Amino acid sequence: MPATESNFQRFVEVGRVVLLKSGPQEGHIAVIAEIIDHNRAIIDGPTTGVPRQAFPYRHLTLTPLRLTKLPRAAGSGAIKKALEKEAIVEKWEKSAFAQRRASIAKRRSLTDFQRFVVMVAKKQRADRVHKAVRAAKKA
Amino acid sequence: MARSKDLVPGVGRLSRSQVFARRGLFKGLKKTEKPAAAEVAPTKEVTVGGANNGSKRVVPTQKAPRFYPAEDVRQPKKSRKSPKPTKLRSSITPGTVLILLAGRFAGKRVVFLKQLDSGLLLVTGPYKVNGVPLRRVNQAYVIATSTQVELGDFKVDEKINDAYFAKASSKGKSSAEEEFFAEGKPKAKEAFPESKAADQKAVDSAIIAAVKKTEYLHKYLRASWGLSKGQYPHLLAF
Amino acid sequence: MPLSEYQVVGRHLPTEAEPSPKIYRMRIFAPNEVVAKSRFWYFLRQLKKVKQASGEIIGVNVISEKKPLKVKNFGIWLRYDSRSGTHNMYKEFRELSRADAVKALYQDMAARHRARFRSIHILRVVEVEKTDDIRRPYIRQLLVPNLKFPLPHRVAKARSTFVAHRPTTF
Repeated sequence: MPATESNFQRFVEVGRVVLLKSGPQEGHIAVIAEIIDHNRAIIDGPTTGVPRQAFPYRHLTLTPLRLTKLPRAAGSGAIKKALEKEAIVEKWEKSAFAQRRASIAKRRSLTDFQRFVVMVAKKQRADRVHKAVRAAKKA
Repeated sequence: MARSKDLVPGVGRLSRSQVFARRGLFKGLKKTEKPAAAEVAPTKEVTVGGANNGSKRVVPTQKAPRFYPAEDVRQPKKSRKSPKPTKLRSSITPGTVLILLAGRFAGKRVVFLKQLDSGLLLVTGPYKVNGVPLRRVNQAYVIATSTQVELGDFKVDEKINDAYFAKASSKGKSSAEEEFFAEGKPKAKEAFPESKAADQKAVDSAIIAAVKKTEYLHKYLRASWGLSKGQYPHLLAF
Repeated sequence: MPLSEYQVVGRHLPTEAEPSPKIYRMRIFAPNEVVAKSRFWYFLRQLKKVKQASGEIIGVNVISEKKPLKVKNFGIWLRYDSRSGTHNMYKEFRELSRADAVKALYQDMAARHRARFRSIHILRVVEVEKTDDIRRPYIRQLLVPNLKFPLPHRVAKARSTFVAHRPTTF
Protein backbone atom coordinates (compact mmCIF):
# COMPACT_ATOMS: atom_id res chain seq x y z
CA MET A 1 0.00 0.00 0.00
CA PRO A 2 1.41 3.41 -0.91
CA ALA A 3 2.15 5.75 1.95
CA THR A 4 0.46 8.73 0.30
CA GLU A 5 -3.24 9.11 0.88
CA SER A 6 -5.53 8.68 -2.07
CA ASN A 7 -8.30 11.07 -3.01
CA PHE A 8 -10.59 8.14 -3.53
CA GLN A 9 -12.86 7.02 -0.72
CA ARG A 10 -13.95 3.59 -1.85
CA PHE A 11 -11.65 0.88 -3.05
CA VAL A 12 -11.92 -2.55 -4.48
CA GLU A 13 -10.47 -4.56 -1.62
CA VAL A 14 -11.14 -7.70 0.33
CA GLY A 15 -14.00 -7.03 2.73
CA ARG A 16 -15.56 -4.18 0.73
CA VAL A 17 -19.35 -4.25 0.80
CA VAL A 18 -20.79 -3.92 -2.68
CA LEU A 19 -24.26 -3.38 -4.12
CA LEU A 20 -25.28 -5.56 -7.06
CA LYS A 21 -26.58 -3.62 -10.04
CA SER A 22 -27.73 -6.50 -12.23
CA GLY A 23 -28.45 -10.19 -12.24
CA PRO A 24 -30.99 -12.17 -10.24
CA GLN A 25 -29.76 -10.65 -6.94
CA GLU A 26 -30.01 -7.09 -8.21
CA GLY A 27 -30.27 -4.63 -5.33
CA HIS A 28 -28.78 -6.98 -2.75
CA ILE A 29 -25.48 -6.34 -1.00
CA ALA A 30 -22.49 -8.67 -0.82
CA VAL A 31 -18.86 -8.67 0.27
CA ILE A 32 -15.76 -8.95 -1.88
CA ALA A 33 -14.08 -12.17 -0.74
CA GLU A 34 -11.21 -12.15 -3.18
CA ILE A 35 -10.04 -10.08 -6.12
CA ILE A 36 -9.65 -12.08 -9.31
CA ASP A 37 -8.29 -9.35 -11.58
CA HIS A 38 -9.00 -5.82 -12.76
CA ASN A 39 -12.44 -6.73 -13.96
CA ARG A 40 -13.85 -9.30 -11.58
CA ALA A 41 -13.94 -10.33 -7.95
CA ILE A 42 -15.42 -13.19 -5.98
CA ILE A 43 -18.35 -11.88 -3.98
CA ASP A 44 -20.35 -13.58 -1.29
CA GLY A 45 -23.39 -12.64 0.75
CA PRO A 46 -24.27 -15.50 3.09
CA THR A 47 -26.73 -13.34 5.06
CA THR A 48 -28.11 -11.37 2.11
CA GLY A 49 -29.05 -14.19 -0.22
CA VAL A 50 -26.18 -13.76 -2.66
CA PRO A 51 -24.41 -17.03 -3.47
CA ARG A 52 -20.63 -17.03 -3.77
CA GLN A 53 -19.73 -16.19 -7.34
CA ALA A 54 -17.40 -14.30 -9.64
CA PHE A 55 -18.86 -10.89 -10.47
CA PRO A 56 -17.64 -8.07 -12.74
CA TYR A 57 -17.10 -4.62 -11.19
CA ARG A 58 -19.06 -3.20 -14.12
CA HIS A 59 -22.24 -4.51 -12.48
CA LEU A 60 -21.31 -3.55 -8.94
CA THR A 61 -21.39 -0.35 -6.95
CA LEU A 62 -18.86 0.07 -4.15
CA THR A 63 -20.45 1.19 -0.87
CA PRO A 64 -18.69 3.14 1.88
CA LEU A 65 -18.95 0.10 4.18
CA ARG A 66 -16.28 -2.52 4.59
CA LEU A 67 -15.49 -5.45 6.80
CA THR A 68 -12.29 -4.83 8.70
CA LYS A 69 -9.72 -7.55 8.93
CA LEU A 70 -11.40 -10.01 6.61
CA PRO A 71 -8.66 -12.41 5.45
CA ARG A 72 -8.20 -12.99 1.73
CA ALA A 73 -10.38 -15.77 0.27
CA ALA A 74 -12.34 -16.26 3.48
CA GLY A 75 -15.06 -18.90 3.27
CA SER A 76 -18.78 -18.28 3.49
CA GLY A 77 -18.82 -19.25 7.18
CA ALA A 78 -16.11 -16.76 8.13
CA ILE A 79 -17.78 -14.01 6.12
CA LYS A 80 -21.11 -14.73 7.76
CA LYS A 81 -19.54 -14.46 11.20
CA ALA A 82 -17.80 -11.22 10.32
CA LEU A 83 -20.98 -9.76 8.82
CA GLU A 84 -22.95 -10.56 11.94
CA LYS A 85 -20.24 -9.33 14.26
CA GLU A 86 -19.91 -5.96 12.58
CA ALA A 87 -23.69 -5.74 11.96
CA ILE A 88 -23.06 -4.73 8.37
CA VAL A 89 -26.59 -5.43 7.15
CA GLU A 90 -28.08 -3.19 9.86
CA LYS A 91 -25.52 -0.48 9.13
CA TRP A 92 -26.40 -0.72 5.46
CA GLU A 93 -30.11 -0.46 6.08
CA LYS A 94 -29.57 2.60 8.28
CA SER A 95 -27.31 4.33 5.77
CA ALA A 96 -28.66 7.26 3.76
CA PHE A 97 -27.72 5.38 0.58
CA ALA A 98 -29.98 2.44 1.38
CA GLN A 99 -32.77 4.58 2.75
CA ARG A 100 -32.82 6.73 -0.34
CA ARG A 101 -33.02 3.58 -2.49
CA ALA A 102 -35.84 2.24 -0.34
CA SER A 103 -37.81 5.47 -0.54
CA ILE A 104 -37.39 5.63 -4.32
CA ALA A 105 -38.62 2.05 -4.59
CA LYS A 106 -41.54 2.85 -2.31
CA ARG A 107 -42.51 5.92 -4.34
CA ARG A 108 -42.31 3.89 -7.51
CA SER A 109 -44.65 1.23 -6.15
CA LEU A 110 -47.38 3.68 -5.13
CA THR A 111 -50.74 3.37 -6.85
CA ASP A 112 -52.50 6.26 -8.53
CA PHE A 113 -54.66 6.95 -5.47
CA GLN A 114 -51.69 6.82 -3.11
CA ARG A 115 -49.79 9.25 -5.33
CA PHE A 116 -52.77 11.57 -5.10
CA VAL A 117 -52.84 11.33 -1.30
CA VAL A 118 -49.11 12.14 -1.20
CA MET A 119 -49.72 15.17 -3.40
CA VAL A 120 -52.46 16.40 -1.07
CA ALA A 121 -50.26 15.86 1.99
CA LYS A 122 -47.43 17.82 0.39
CA LYS A 123 -49.77 20.71 -0.34
CA GLN A 124 -51.00 20.73 3.23
CA ARG A 125 -47.43 20.79 4.53
CA ALA A 126 -46.50 23.64 2.21
CA ASP A 127 -49.58 25.55 3.31
CA ARG A 128 -48.69 25.24 6.98
CA VAL A 129 -45.11 26.28 6.31
CA HIS A 130 -46.19 29.35 4.40
CA LYS A 131 -48.59 30.36 7.12
CA ALA A 132 -45.96 29.94 9.81
CA VAL A 133 -43.45 31.96 7.81
CA ARG A 134 -45.93 34.75 7.29
CA ALA A 135 -46.79 34.82 10.97
CA ALA A 136 -43.10 34.91 11.90
CA LYS A 137 -42.44 37.79 9.52
CA LYS A 138 -45.18 39.90 11.04
CA ALA A 139 -43.98 39.34 14.55
CA MET B 1 -73.52 -15.59 -52.67
CA ALA B 2 -76.32 -15.03 -55.09
CA ARG B 3 -75.08 -11.59 -56.08
CA SER B 4 -71.60 -12.73 -56.82
CA LYS B 5 -71.83 -15.35 -59.52
CA ASP B 6 -68.90 -17.64 -59.65
CA LEU B 7 -66.20 -16.85 -62.17
CA VAL B 8 -64.81 -20.29 -61.50
CA PRO B 9 -65.95 -22.49 -58.63
CA GLY B 10 -64.86 -20.85 -55.42
CA VAL B 11 -64.03 -17.43 -56.90
CA GLY B 12 -66.76 -14.86 -57.04
CA ARG B 13 -67.24 -12.20 -59.70
CA LEU B 14 -67.46 -9.45 -57.11
CA SER B 15 -65.02 -8.42 -54.45
CA ARG B 16 -65.85 -8.67 -50.79
CA SER B 17 -66.63 -4.96 -50.52
CA GLN B 18 -68.78 -5.02 -53.64
CA VAL B 19 -70.78 -7.88 -52.22
CA PHE B 20 -71.13 -5.97 -48.98
CA ALA B 21 -72.39 -2.90 -50.81
CA ARG B 22 -74.92 -4.89 -52.81
CA ARG B 23 -76.20 -6.89 -49.92
CA GLY B 24 -77.00 -3.65 -48.22
CA LEU B 25 -76.66 -5.00 -44.72
CA PHE B 26 -75.43 -1.61 -43.58
CA LYS B 27 -78.96 -0.38 -44.04
CA GLY B 28 -79.84 -2.34 -40.95
CA LEU B 29 -81.86 -5.39 -40.25
CA LYS B 30 -85.27 -5.81 -41.78
CA LYS B 31 -87.82 -4.81 -39.23
CA THR B 32 -90.93 -6.31 -40.76
CA GLU B 33 -91.40 -9.98 -41.34
CA LYS B 34 -93.23 -11.39 -44.30
CA PRO B 35 -96.39 -13.28 -43.44
CA ALA B 36 -95.64 -16.97 -43.55
CA ALA B 37 -96.58 -18.47 -46.89
CA ALA B 38 -99.60 -20.70 -46.70
CA GLU B 39 -98.72 -24.36 -46.72
CA VAL B 40 -99.30 -25.87 -50.11
CA ALA B 41 -99.95 -29.56 -50.37
CA PRO B 42 -97.26 -31.28 -52.43
CA THR B 43 -99.79 -33.06 -54.60
CA LYS B 44 -103.24 -32.35 -55.92
CA GLU B 45 -105.90 -34.21 -57.72
CA VAL B 46 -106.93 -33.14 -61.15
CA THR B 47 -109.61 -34.42 -63.40
CA VAL B 48 -108.45 -35.63 -66.72
CA GLY B 49 -110.43 -36.28 -69.85
CA GLY B 50 -110.41 -39.46 -71.83
CA ALA B 51 -112.44 -42.52 -71.13
CA ASN B 52 -109.53 -44.75 -70.36
CA ASN B 53 -107.72 -42.35 -68.11
CA GLY B 54 -109.69 -42.99 -64.91
CA SER B 55 -110.97 -39.37 -64.82
CA LYS B 56 -108.85 -38.45 -61.78
CA ARG B 57 -105.13 -38.35 -61.25
CA VAL B 58 -102.76 -37.21 -58.48
CA VAL B 59 -100.14 -34.80 -59.80
CA PRO B 60 -97.50 -32.68 -58.02
CA THR B 61 -98.57 -29.15 -57.33
CA GLN B 62 -95.36 -27.78 -58.75
CA LYS B 63 -93.87 -29.36 -61.78
CA ALA B 64 -90.37 -30.68 -61.51
CA PRO B 65 -88.01 -28.35 -63.38
CA ARG B 66 -87.31 -29.16 -66.99
CA PHE B 67 -83.74 -28.15 -66.66
CA TYR B 68 -81.14 -29.67 -64.43
CA PRO B 69 -77.70 -28.08 -64.25
CA ALA B 70 -75.16 -30.43 -65.77
CA GLU B 71 -72.31 -29.10 -63.71
CA ASP B 72 -72.28 -29.17 -59.95
CA VAL B 73 -71.77 -25.74 -58.48
CA ARG B 74 -70.23 -25.81 -55.10
CA GLN B 75 -72.39 -24.53 -52.30
CA PRO B 76 -70.57 -21.99 -50.22
CA LYS B 77 -69.93 -23.17 -46.70
CA LYS B 78 -72.14 -21.74 -44.06
CA SER B 79 -70.16 -19.95 -41.40
CA ARG B 80 -70.79 -21.33 -37.99
CA LYS B 81 -68.72 -18.70 -36.27
CA SER B 82 -70.41 -16.30 -33.94
CA PRO B 83 -68.82 -13.37 -32.13
CA LYS B 84 -67.76 -14.16 -28.60
CA PRO B 85 -68.89 -11.91 -25.77
CA THR B 86 -66.30 -9.30 -24.89
CA LYS B 87 -64.03 -10.40 -22.11
CA LEU B 88 -63.84 -7.99 -19.21
CA ARG B 89 -60.28 -7.19 -18.15
CA SER B 90 -59.52 -9.02 -14.93
CA SER B 91 -58.43 -5.78 -13.25
CA ILE B 92 -61.89 -4.29 -13.68
CA THR B 93 -64.57 -5.28 -11.18
CA PRO B 94 -67.65 -3.35 -10.06
CA GLY B 95 -66.43 -0.42 -7.98
CA THR B 96 -63.04 -0.10 -9.69
CA VAL B 97 -61.90 3.46 -10.31
CA LEU B 98 -61.09 3.88 -13.99
CA ILE B 99 -59.23 6.65 -15.76
CA LEU B 100 -60.85 7.65 -19.04
CA LEU B 101 -58.36 8.21 -21.83
CA ALA B 102 -60.46 9.30 -24.77
CA GLY B 103 -63.53 11.29 -25.57
CA ARG B 104 -65.17 14.25 -23.99
CA PHE B 105 -64.27 13.15 -20.45
CA ALA B 106 -60.65 12.15 -21.10
CA GLY B 107 -58.57 12.42 -17.94
CA LYS B 108 -61.50 11.95 -15.58
CA ARG B 109 -61.52 9.34 -12.90
CA VAL B 110 -64.80 7.43 -12.82
CA VAL B 111 -66.37 4.46 -11.06
CA PHE B 112 -67.10 1.28 -12.98
CA LEU B 113 -70.59 -0.17 -12.43
CA LYS B 114 -71.04 -3.13 -14.76
CA GLN B 115 -70.37 -4.50 -18.19
CA LEU B 116 -73.23 -4.26 -20.66
CA ASP B 117 -74.17 -6.95 -23.17
CA SER B 118 -72.47 -5.04 -25.97
CA GLY B 119 -69.18 -5.35 -24.07
CA LEU B 120 -69.05 -1.65 -23.20
CA LEU B 121 -68.47 -0.58 -19.62
CA LEU B 122 -71.11 1.31 -17.71
CA VAL B 123 -69.46 4.04 -15.66
CA THR B 124 -70.50 7.05 -13.65
CA GLY B 125 -68.52 10.00 -12.37
CA PRO B 126 -70.55 10.23 -10.08
CA TYR B 127 -72.14 13.20 -11.87
CA LYS B 128 -72.29 15.25 -8.71
CA VAL B 129 -68.56 14.75 -8.07
CA ASN B 130 -66.87 15.32 -11.40
CA GLY B 131 -69.60 15.87 -13.97
CA VAL B 132 -69.37 12.50 -15.70
CA PRO B 133 -72.89 11.12 -16.17
CA LEU B 134 -73.92 7.49 -16.53
CA ARG B 135 -72.02 6.60 -19.65
CA ARG B 136 -70.81 3.72 -21.73
CA VAL B 137 -67.09 3.46 -22.51
CA ASN B 138 -64.91 0.97 -24.33
CA GLN B 139 -62.50 -0.78 -22.01
CA ALA B 140 -59.67 -0.22 -24.49
CA TYR B 141 -59.76 3.49 -23.73
CA VAL B 142 -59.50 3.13 -20.01
CA ILE B 143 -56.79 2.62 -17.40
CA ALA B 144 -57.92 0.38 -14.57
CA THR B 145 -56.54 1.52 -11.22
CA SER B 146 -56.19 -0.71 -8.17
CA THR B 147 -58.41 1.66 -6.19
CA GLN B 148 -61.82 0.26 -5.32
CA VAL B 149 -64.99 1.91 -4.16
CA GLU B 150 -66.69 -0.55 -1.81
CA LEU B 151 -70.10 -0.93 -3.40
CA GLY B 152 -71.15 -3.88 -1.26
CA ASP B 153 -74.23 -5.54 -2.74
CA PHE B 154 -75.24 -2.50 -4.73
CA LYS B 155 -76.79 -3.48 -8.08
CA VAL B 156 -77.44 -1.21 -11.01
CA ASP B 157 -81.04 -1.18 -12.15
CA GLU B 158 -81.65 -3.70 -14.95
CA LYS B 159 -83.30 -1.05 -17.09
CA ILE B 160 -79.96 0.66 -17.62
CA ASN B 161 -78.77 -1.36 -20.59
CA ASP B 162 -77.62 -0.67 -24.12
CA ALA B 163 -81.11 0.24 -25.23
CA TYR B 164 -81.30 2.85 -22.46
CA PHE B 165 -78.54 4.82 -24.18
CA ALA B 166 -80.00 4.53 -27.68
CA LYS B 167 -80.91 7.77 -29.39
CA ALA B 168 -84.63 8.43 -29.44
CA SER B 169 -85.81 8.10 -33.02
CA SER B 170 -86.60 11.65 -34.13
CA LYS B 171 -89.84 12.33 -35.88
CA GLY B 172 -89.35 13.23 -39.54
CA LYS B 173 -88.62 16.88 -39.18
CA SER B 174 -90.42 19.44 -41.31
CA SER B 175 -89.55 20.20 -44.87
CA ALA B 176 -86.09 20.85 -46.23
CA GLU B 177 -87.15 24.36 -46.98
CA GLU B 178 -87.93 25.13 -43.40
CA GLU B 179 -84.64 23.69 -42.29
CA PHE B 180 -82.78 25.74 -44.88
CA PHE B 181 -84.18 28.96 -43.57
CA ALA B 182 -83.74 27.93 -39.97
CA GLU B 183 -79.95 27.82 -40.41
CA GLY B 184 -78.08 30.25 -38.26
CA LYS B 185 -80.83 30.47 -35.73
CA PRO B 186 -80.10 28.61 -32.55
CA LYS B 187 -82.04 25.38 -32.35
CA ALA B 188 -84.29 24.86 -29.45
CA LYS B 189 -82.40 22.76 -26.93
CA GLU B 190 -84.17 19.70 -25.74
CA ALA B 191 -84.44 19.35 -22.02
CA PHE B 192 -82.67 16.41 -20.40
CA PRO B 193 -85.35 13.81 -19.72
CA GLU B 194 -86.33 13.89 -16.10
CA SER B 195 -86.52 10.13 -15.76
CA LYS B 196 -82.86 9.87 -16.72
CA ALA B 197 -81.88 12.56 -14.26
CA ALA B 198 -83.69 10.61 -11.58
CA ASP B 199 -81.87 7.41 -12.58
CA GLN B 200 -78.55 9.26 -12.36
CA LYS B 201 -79.40 10.47 -8.88
CA ALA B 202 -80.50 7.08 -7.72
CA VAL B 203 -77.24 5.42 -8.83
CA ASP B 204 -75.01 8.22 -7.60
CA SER B 205 -76.49 8.44 -4.14
CA ALA B 206 -75.36 4.90 -3.35
CA ILE B 207 -71.90 5.45 -4.81
CA ILE B 208 -71.29 8.79 -3.14
CA ALA B 209 -72.18 7.22 0.19
CA ALA B 210 -69.55 4.54 -0.46
CA VAL B 211 -66.97 7.10 -1.61
CA LYS B 212 -67.32 9.10 1.59
CA LYS B 213 -66.16 6.15 3.65
CA THR B 214 -62.59 6.54 2.41
CA GLU B 215 -60.69 9.72 3.14
CA TYR B 216 -59.56 11.74 0.11
CA LEU B 217 -61.44 9.44 -2.27
CA HIS B 218 -63.99 12.14 -3.04
CA LYS B 219 -61.22 14.61 -3.81
CA TYR B 220 -59.43 11.97 -5.85
CA LEU B 221 -62.46 11.39 -8.11
CA ARG B 222 -62.87 15.13 -8.45
CA ALA B 223 -59.33 15.67 -9.63
CA SER B 224 -58.39 14.83 -13.17
CA TRP B 225 -55.48 12.68 -14.15
CA GLY B 226 -52.47 13.55 -16.27
CA LEU B 227 -48.83 12.78 -16.86
CA SER B 228 -46.09 15.16 -15.82
CA LYS B 229 -42.51 15.30 -17.02
CA GLY B 230 -40.56 12.12 -16.53
CA GLN B 231 -43.65 10.01 -15.96
CA TYR B 232 -44.16 7.11 -18.30
CA PRO B 233 -47.46 5.27 -18.05
CA HIS B 234 -45.88 1.87 -18.66
CA LEU B 235 -43.56 2.40 -15.69
CA LEU B 236 -46.23 3.63 -13.30
CA ALA B 237 -48.23 1.48 -10.96
CA PHE B 238 -51.92 2.23 -11.05
CA MET C 1 -18.71 -20.10 -26.31
CA PRO C 2 -17.44 -21.71 -23.14
CA LEU C 3 -14.80 -24.37 -23.36
CA SER C 4 -14.79 -27.64 -21.43
CA GLU C 5 -11.95 -29.96 -20.65
CA TYR C 6 -12.46 -33.45 -22.06
CA GLN C 7 -10.66 -36.70 -21.48
CA VAL C 8 -10.68 -38.60 -24.75
CA VAL C 9 -9.53 -42.24 -24.85
CA GLY C 10 -8.93 -44.10 -28.10
CA ARG C 11 -6.85 -46.71 -29.85
CA HIS C 12 -6.02 -48.35 -33.17
CA LEU C 13 -8.55 -50.99 -34.22
CA PRO C 14 -7.38 -54.50 -33.25
CA THR C 15 -5.76 -56.34 -36.14
CA GLU C 16 -4.46 -59.90 -36.55
CA ALA C 17 -0.90 -58.68 -36.17
CA GLU C 18 -1.79 -56.62 -33.09
CA PRO C 19 -4.84 -58.01 -31.26
CA SER C 20 -4.55 -55.63 -28.29
CA PRO C 21 -3.33 -52.21 -29.52
CA LYS C 22 -2.04 -49.54 -27.20
CA ILE C 23 -4.65 -47.24 -25.64
CA TYR C 24 -4.05 -43.48 -25.76
CA ARG C 25 -5.58 -40.86 -23.50
CA MET C 26 -5.57 -37.11 -24.00
CA ARG C 27 -6.92 -34.09 -22.13
CA ILE C 28 -8.43 -31.76 -24.68
CA PHE C 29 -10.00 -28.31 -24.38
CA ALA C 30 -12.91 -28.00 -26.76
CA PRO C 31 -16.32 -26.34 -26.98
CA ASN C 32 -18.10 -29.70 -27.30
CA GLU C 33 -17.60 -33.44 -27.55
CA VAL C 34 -17.51 -33.55 -31.34
CA VAL C 35 -14.69 -31.04 -31.53
CA ALA C 36 -12.90 -32.86 -28.69
CA LYS C 37 -12.90 -36.14 -30.62
CA SER C 38 -11.79 -34.40 -33.77
CA ARG C 39 -8.88 -32.71 -31.97
CA PHE C 40 -7.96 -36.06 -30.42
CA TRP C 41 -7.51 -37.63 -33.88
CA TYR C 42 -5.70 -34.53 -35.11
CA PHE C 43 -3.07 -34.78 -32.37
CA LEU C 44 -2.84 -38.57 -32.35
CA ARG C 45 -2.29 -38.63 -36.11
CA GLN C 46 0.69 -36.34 -35.66
CA LEU C 47 2.17 -38.33 -32.81
CA LYS C 48 1.43 -41.99 -33.65
CA LYS C 49 0.63 -44.08 -36.69
CA VAL C 50 -3.09 -44.14 -35.93
CA LYS C 51 -5.84 -42.28 -37.74
CA GLN C 52 -9.58 -41.99 -37.44
CA ALA C 53 -10.29 -44.42 -40.30
CA SER C 54 -8.28 -47.15 -38.60
CA GLY C 55 -9.00 -46.31 -35.00
CA GLU C 56 -11.80 -46.07 -32.49
CA ILE C 57 -12.76 -43.79 -29.62
CA ILE C 58 -13.21 -45.72 -26.41
CA GLY C 59 -14.59 -42.97 -24.24
CA VAL C 60 -15.10 -39.23 -23.86
CA ASN C 61 -15.62 -37.68 -20.43
CA VAL C 62 -15.87 -34.14 -19.19
CA ILE C 63 -13.28 -33.26 -16.57
CA SER C 64 -14.90 -30.78 -14.22
CA GLU C 65 -13.03 -28.38 -11.98
CA LYS C 66 -12.48 -29.62 -8.47
CA LYS C 67 -12.79 -26.24 -6.78
CA PRO C 68 -14.65 -23.91 -9.13
CA LEU C 69 -14.87 -21.09 -6.56
CA LYS C 70 -11.18 -20.88 -5.71
CA VAL C 71 -9.10 -18.32 -7.56
CA LYS C 72 -6.03 -19.98 -9.08
CA ASN C 73 -3.08 -18.87 -11.14
CA PHE C 74 -2.47 -20.98 -14.22
CA GLY C 75 0.65 -21.21 -16.36
CA ILE C 76 -0.03 -22.31 -19.92
CA TRP C 77 2.54 -23.46 -22.45
CA LEU C 78 1.42 -23.26 -26.02
CA ARG C 79 2.60 -23.64 -29.59
CA TYR C 80 1.33 -21.11 -32.05
CA ASP C 81 1.65 -20.88 -35.82
CA SER C 82 1.97 -17.27 -36.79
CA ARG C 83 1.90 -16.05 -40.37
CA SER C 84 5.68 -16.33 -40.59
CA GLY C 85 6.59 -19.26 -38.39
CA THR C 86 5.94 -21.35 -35.32
CA HIS C 87 6.50 -20.07 -31.78
CA ASN C 88 6.38 -21.53 -28.34
CA MET C 89 4.95 -19.39 -25.62
CA TYR C 90 4.29 -19.31 -21.91
CA LYS C 91 1.46 -17.23 -20.49
CA GLU C 92 -0.13 -16.86 -17.09
CA PHE C 93 -3.80 -16.41 -16.23
CA ARG C 94 -5.74 -15.84 -13.04
CA GLU C 95 -9.03 -17.69 -13.31
CA LEU C 96 -11.37 -20.02 -11.49
CA SER C 97 -10.90 -23.12 -13.65
CA ARG C 98 -8.53 -24.68 -16.14
CA ALA C 99 -11.11 -24.41 -18.90
CA ASP C 100 -11.66 -20.71 -18.13
CA ALA C 101 -7.93 -20.11 -18.27
CA VAL C 102 -7.68 -21.77 -21.68
CA LYS C 103 -10.66 -19.77 -22.90
CA ALA C 104 -8.94 -16.59 -21.71
CA LEU C 105 -5.79 -17.73 -23.52
CA TYR C 106 -7.61 -18.13 -26.84
CA GLN C 107 -9.13 -14.68 -26.40
CA ASP C 108 -5.76 -13.19 -25.54
CA MET C 109 -4.04 -14.81 -28.53
CA ALA C 110 -6.83 -13.68 -30.82
CA ALA C 111 -6.50 -10.13 -29.51
CA ARG C 112 -2.74 -9.77 -29.51
CA HIS C 113 -1.79 -11.93 -32.46
CA ARG C 114 -5.01 -12.42 -34.42
CA ALA C 115 -4.46 -16.15 -33.88
CA ARG C 116 -7.29 -18.55 -34.64
CA PHE C 117 -8.27 -21.68 -32.72
CA ARG C 118 -6.73 -23.87 -35.42
CA SER C 119 -3.29 -22.28 -35.15
CA ILE C 120 -2.88 -22.80 -31.39
CA HIS C 121 -1.85 -26.00 -29.63
CA ILE C 122 -2.23 -26.10 -25.87
CA LEU C 123 0.81 -27.98 -24.61
CA ARG C 124 0.42 -27.85 -20.87
CA VAL C 125 -1.82 -26.19 -18.29
CA VAL C 126 -0.40 -26.06 -14.76
CA GLU C 127 -1.64 -24.39 -11.64
CA VAL C 128 1.10 -22.23 -10.12
CA GLU C 129 0.72 -22.55 -6.41
CA LYS C 130 3.59 -20.49 -5.02
CA THR C 131 3.62 -16.73 -5.53
CA ASP C 132 7.38 -16.80 -6.06
CA ASP C 133 6.92 -19.06 -9.06
CA ILE C 134 4.77 -16.51 -10.86
CA ARG C 135 6.82 -15.19 -13.76
CA ARG C 136 4.66 -12.54 -15.31
CA PRO C 137 4.31 -9.08 -13.73
CA TYR C 138 0.70 -8.70 -14.85
CA ILE C 139 -0.27 -11.57 -12.57
CA ARG C 140 2.27 -10.80 -9.87
CA GLN C 141 0.77 -7.34 -9.30
CA LEU C 142 -2.47 -8.98 -8.20
CA LEU C 143 -0.77 -11.06 -5.54
CA VAL C 144 0.55 -8.31 -3.27
CA PRO C 145 -0.80 -8.38 0.28
CA ASN C 146 -3.61 -5.92 1.07
CA LEU C 147 -4.27 -5.27 -2.58
CA LYS C 148 -6.65 -2.39 -3.18
CA PHE C 149 -7.50 -0.06 -6.02
CA PRO C 150 -10.26 2.44 -6.80
CA LEU C 151 -12.63 2.32 -9.75
CA PRO C 152 -11.84 5.74 -11.19
CA HIS C 153 -13.82 5.83 -14.42
CA ARG C 154 -17.40 4.89 -13.75
CA VAL C 155 -19.71 5.80 -16.58
CA ALA C 156 -23.37 5.83 -15.68
CA LYS C 157 -25.36 3.91 -18.22
CA ALA C 158 -27.81 5.98 -20.26
CA ARG C 159 -31.46 5.11 -19.77
CA SER C 160 -31.95 4.43 -23.44
CA THR C 161 -30.01 4.25 -26.67
CA PHE C 162 -31.22 7.67 -27.75
CA VAL C 163 -30.92 10.49 -25.25
CA ALA C 164 -30.81 14.24 -25.64
CA HIS C 165 -27.49 14.74 -23.89
CA ARG C 166 -24.17 13.03 -24.35
CA PRO C 167 -22.98 11.27 -21.19
CA THR C 168 -20.22 12.91 -19.21
CA THR C 169 -17.46 10.40 -18.72
CA PHE C 170 -14.89 12.30 -16.73
